[in-house]
Amino acid sequence: MAERSFPLPDLGEGLIEATILEWLVEPGQWVERNTPLVEVETTKSAVELPSPIAGTVKTTHGEDGDTINVGDTLITFEVADEEAGIVGTVPQEKKKERRVRLSKK
Amino acid sequence: MTEQLSTQKAINTALREILADDAKSLVFGEDVGKLGGVFRVTDGLQTEFGAHRVIDTPLAESGILGMAAGLAMAGHRPIPEVQFDGFAYPAMNQIISQIARTNYRSRGATPMQMVLRIPSYGGIRAPELHGESIEATLAHVPGLKVVSPSNPHQAYHLLRRAHEMPDPVMFMEPKSRYWNRGDVDFENPGDLEGSLVAREGEDLTIIAWGAMVARSLEVAELAAEDDVSIEVVDARWLKPLDEDGLVASVAKTGRAVIVHEAPRTAGLGAEIGQLLTERLWGKLEAPVERVTGYDVPTPAGDLEDEYIPSIDRILFGVQRSLEY
Amino acid sequence: MPVPPSSAAQPAQLWPPQNGVTVDVETLRGLAERMLVTRVLDTEAVRWQRQGILPAFPPAIGQEAAQVGSAMALDRARDMAFITYRDHGVVVGLDSDLTDYMGSHLALWNGGFADPNKVRHSPLQAVVGATALHAMGWAYAQKLDGTGGAAIAYFGDGASSQGDVHEAMNFAAVSKSPVVFFVQNNGWSLSTPLDLQVAGGSVAARASGYSMPSMRIDGDDVGEVYAATQIALEHAREHGPVVIEAFTYRRGPHATSDDPSRYRSLEEERALGPDPIDVARQLVADEAWWAEAEQRAEQAVDAVRVQMQSPRTIDGNDMFDYVFQEKTPQLVKQQEQWREETDLD
Repeated sequence: MAERSFPLPDLGEGLIEATILEWLVEPGQWVERNTPLVEVETTKSAVELPSPIAGTVKTTHGEDGDTINVGDTLITFEVADEEAGIVGTVPQEKKKERRVRLSKK
Repeated sequence: MTEQLSTQKAINTALREILADDAKSLVFGEDVGKLGGVFRVTDGLQTEFGAHRVIDTPLAESGILGMAAGLAMAGHRPIPEVQFDGFAYPAMNQIISQIARTNYRSRGATPMQMVLRIPSYGGIRAPELHGESIEATLAHVPGLKVVSPSNPHQAYHLLRRAHEMPDPVMFMEPKSRYWNRGDVDFENPGDLEGSLVAREGEDLTIIAWGAMVARSLEVAELAAEDDVSIEVVDARWLKPLDEDGLVASVAKTGRAVIVHEAPRTAGLGAEIGQLLTERLWGKLEAPVERVTGYDVPTPAGDLEDEYIPSIDRILFGVQRSLEY
Repeated sequence: MPVPPSSAAQPAQLWPPQNGVTVDVETLRGLAERMLVTRVLDTEAVRWQRQGILPAFPPAIGQEAAQVGSAMALDRARDMAFITYRDHGVVVGLDSDLTDYMGSHLALWNGGFADPNKVRHSPLQAVVGATALHAMGWAYAQKLDGTGGAAIAYFGDGASSQGDVHEAMNFAAVSKSPVVFFVQNNGWSLSTPLDLQVAGGSVAARASGYSMPSMRIDGDDVGEVYAATQIALEHAREHGPVVIEAFTYRRGPHATSDDPSRYRSLEEERALGPDPIDVARQLVADEAWWAEAEQRAEQAVDAVRVQMQSPRTIDGNDMFDYVFQEKTPQLVKQQEQWREETDLD
């Protein structure tokens, strides 16, 4: 088995975080695609996040009341090996991995 | 008193205080009342000050700005909002042909004291015309002043300052920074005129504004690892430009890189570059570099990272200047 | 100077038609099937946003009858639809490729990937109202070229406040251009209710000021929308512009980032009339067929989901290549620099 993580998406035009109101699933539980996973609240509204895939919930990250940054892993699923990776196309800040070095003349 | 606020909340606080202090002030635009604005910048203001002073207007940007002109003629001090930068375009007739020149036309008898709030620039993966950088367009128009804060403290104080000014001020809020928090020192605004040195350095000056200030500060941090000392100047006022302040920094470092999200051609980088050439001819160590958006319409979300100056692209600009 | 006699002719009365409305079963099924696709697309797309697949989406839930019914009345050989950002029912109604269309909402390419001349609808549009003038100009061209084609301009109660819409109506009426102004009056412009948006509450009422006929219809009854649009189009081809005001309701949020509970109550949402999908179901009156159609709709939208997730080849070069037909030297240089600075690996 492999893992597949679901990062918190930007839920509304440039938001940077959301607060977990209530987990609707627990580790070990099998979920179908679109099963409600968690209710979160942003500065703009409260929304339920439906599961992006079918699979077994391995880990839920964060407790009720915790604030999670956009792009941080919200939930990890256990999936078949060939399905490993990340789901969603979360707009992530490009990694600060630096490629251009400077030198004075 | 100092408080940690997001830029969005800092502007909200400034608006609340302006509405409380100045009975002639009004806030209006699309969805600014009951909803509190799409970025919640005007949250709670309608409840507190009434629907006659915090107005949900019909969906008509030219109408919103034309109404602002009429209010200003009658001695009120409107603070209209266009919901997104790209929606300023339908209002350009009122902004350029009317608001910018009414003072001139009336030989100073009917000043256009107003602040137009414009959530500006890209970086949030928004749809078309929700990520435009129109500062050069506005700065080019005689009769308009243009300012762009880069953090919560600046946003709070510059808005209050802009509201006191007797001329129309285009207030360009970096929407990708709305939710980032920072200290707002309410009692100590600091100097609100001209530019501001956001980080001191010796080897090279980066001039930026809006959301590009934070990115330039990151670049300066990285450059320090290579023993390159970068001074970051937050231009703040794009019209009038702080000529002396910008020149003073570049006179010290000898090198300048101007960073903006707007397209390159006829952008403010060209204006600032010309200023530096005029004032520092013979003293520059390298030609003034520009790192800007390209001459293309602000692209859809996934291409935003290609369009908006990245840390790498800014570093390239810095290196070009250093090795000239 | 004495007041001249009013020259405004009384506009034709087009609705309701004297002989009532009948839509045959086959047509009704075609309409219902596309309404279902639209509803499933909306329901799914909201989830896709919550799953990080789409950055944002403006659902059209509740407006399926208005959009599909009007779009299917068009003659795809010669007519053209001018849409805004909440008109995917029109896109479905014209059988335009949904993956191409969703390219815009996926933030791959503003406007999506369809060729308007082939799919017979404009790219989606963020500046509402502007397209009313495009429709008018396009329609005038049909008149000049004698194609018999008509334009349909889609906009909402909110956009009707824009000057462009009034300019378009007047130009079209003066020039007798074949254009149907199709207003989806859905009660809300983001958070702004109809009574703060449209003085008098009806956009159709404005048509008489421009001496053109108007039709106020139940926008949730797909048969009525289809029949009314056909009548309007035929009138437009012969005589000039018509306003249709389809009364409907935006049952969802303005967009996925919106929170309607800040400005409207659940009571209001519950007090609505029947869902247009249920109306269509009754019109079709064939439960077995309906169940199959629902399944087909699910499958069609799931195919879109799968196609959307296999990424298109789109890169920064496109950003430079489509600005002009003839690229400027400066842009060529910028493109070269972009390549040099981004191809580092």
